[in-house]
Amino acid sequence: MQKYKSVELLNQLQADVRQLILTASHLKTTDPGVLLEQPAAGKWSVIQVLEHLNSYGNYYLLAIEKSLKQDKPATALFKPGWLGNYFTRLMKPGNNGTITNKMQSPKNHRPARHPDALPVLNTFLEQQQYLLELLESAKTKNIGSIRTPVSISKLVKLKVGDVFRFLIAHEQRHFVQIENTLAAINGTTGKYPAVHPVM
Amino acid sequence: MDTNLLRQFIQAAYPLKEVELEKLLSVWQPFECKRKTILTAAGETERYLYFVLEGVQRGFYVGNDKQEATVVFTYPPSFSGLADSFLTQTPSKYFMETLTSSRFLRTTYKQIDELMNEYPAIQRMVLCLTAFILKGVLERQIELQCFSAEEKFRTLLKRSPHVLQIIPHKYLASYLGIDATTFSKLMGTVRL
Repeated sequence: MQKYKSVELLNQLQADVRQLILTASHLKTTDPGVLLEQPAAGKWSVIQVLEHLNSYGNYYLLAIEKSLKQDKPATALFKPGWLGNYFTRLMKPGNNGTITNKMQSPKNHRPARHPDALPVLNTFLEQQQYLLELLESAKTKNIGSIRTPVSISKLVKLKVGDVFRFLIAHEQRHFVQIENTLAAINGTTGKYPAVHPVM
Repeated sequence: MDTNLLRQFIQAAYPLKEVELEKLLSVWQPFECKRKTILTAAGETERYLYFVLEGVQRGFYVGNDKQEATVVFTYPPSFSGLADSFLTQTPSKYFMETLTSSRFLRTTYKQIDELMNEYPAIQRMVLCLTAFILKGVLERQIELQCFSAEEKFRTLLKRSPHVLQIIPHKYLASYLGIDATTFSKLMGTVRL
C-alpha cells in the first residue's frame, strides 16, 4: 500500500479544504433561490447537500478533536489502513471530476429541505475552518496510531489520517454533485472553480 | 538550504549587521507546491511569511458580483503571503493561491515576532518593508480610483513590464479593475 509523508499528506488535505472554502465562498454570492431549488423531484438542492455534509461534520470534527488529544508524537510516514483506503477510494471523485458509483445516504444523514440558505453555508464554512485547524494540529501527532471511531459504529475505529482522507473525499464528492446541480438548474457549467481531485 | 537570494534581497532592501542577518536567515524552511494551490483561505489567519524563489502567486477576494478581484501578485524575489493578516494575526478576508508551481522559503509569525523582540534592527527592517508596502498600496488606491483604463494599463506596464509575460492577462485585467476585453484592446493599441 502507498505510504505518504505525513506532513505532505496533511498539507495536501489542507489545500483541498481551502479549495472547498473557495467554492463555498462563491456559493455565498449566488442567488439563494437557486441554492434552495431542487433540480428534480427527490433530488437534493445545493443547500441540502451542504446540510448533509454539515451533519457529518458535526460528528467527525468533534470525534477527531477528541482523538487528537492523545499524546502520540508525529512520525515521518503514514501508511493508510485497508479499510480507510477503501472508504477514501469509494468516496473520491474520478480524475475527470465525475462520479460513477452512486450511493445512498444513511437515513440519519438525509437533510430536510431548509428554508434559509445563509446559515447552512456559514455553518459549512465554520466547519471547514475548524477542519483546517484540526489538520494543522494533526501535524504534531501520530496520525497512523491515533484512531477515531466512525459514524456508523463506535466499535469501528480508523486511523485518524484515514478519517481525514475519506471525510474530505466525501466533501469533494458532494461538491461535484453541487456543480452538477447548479448546471442542471442554470443550464450552464464551469461557473464555479472546479474541485480538483488529487492523489 | 539555499538562502542566498533572500540574503541578497534583505541586504539590498535594509542592510543588517552580520549577526542579525545570520539569525534572520536561520529561521526559514523550504516549501514547494503545485500550481493553483490555495496557500491561505479567507477566514484563516496567515501563519507564514513566504519568500518567493520561483513561481507566481495571486491574492484575491471573492466578492458579490461572482468575480474574483485580484488584490496582489507576488513573484521572485519578494516576500509573499497575506501580509496584513500575518502582521495583525487576524483572519484574512481574501485568498492567496499559486498561479504556477512555486518554491518558497517560509517562516512563522512566532519566529519573526521573537526576532523582532530580540533585535531592534530586525524590527526596523520589518517596519521599513511594511512602510514601502503601504506606500505601494496607497499609490495603487489612487490609480484605481482616479485613472482611466488606459492610464492604469500604461502605469502597470511602465512599472512592471515583465508581468505581461508571466501572468495570464485575465488576472492582470482583474488586478487593474478593467474588463478583460478592454485589456486585450489596450494590448493591441497602446504603444509604450
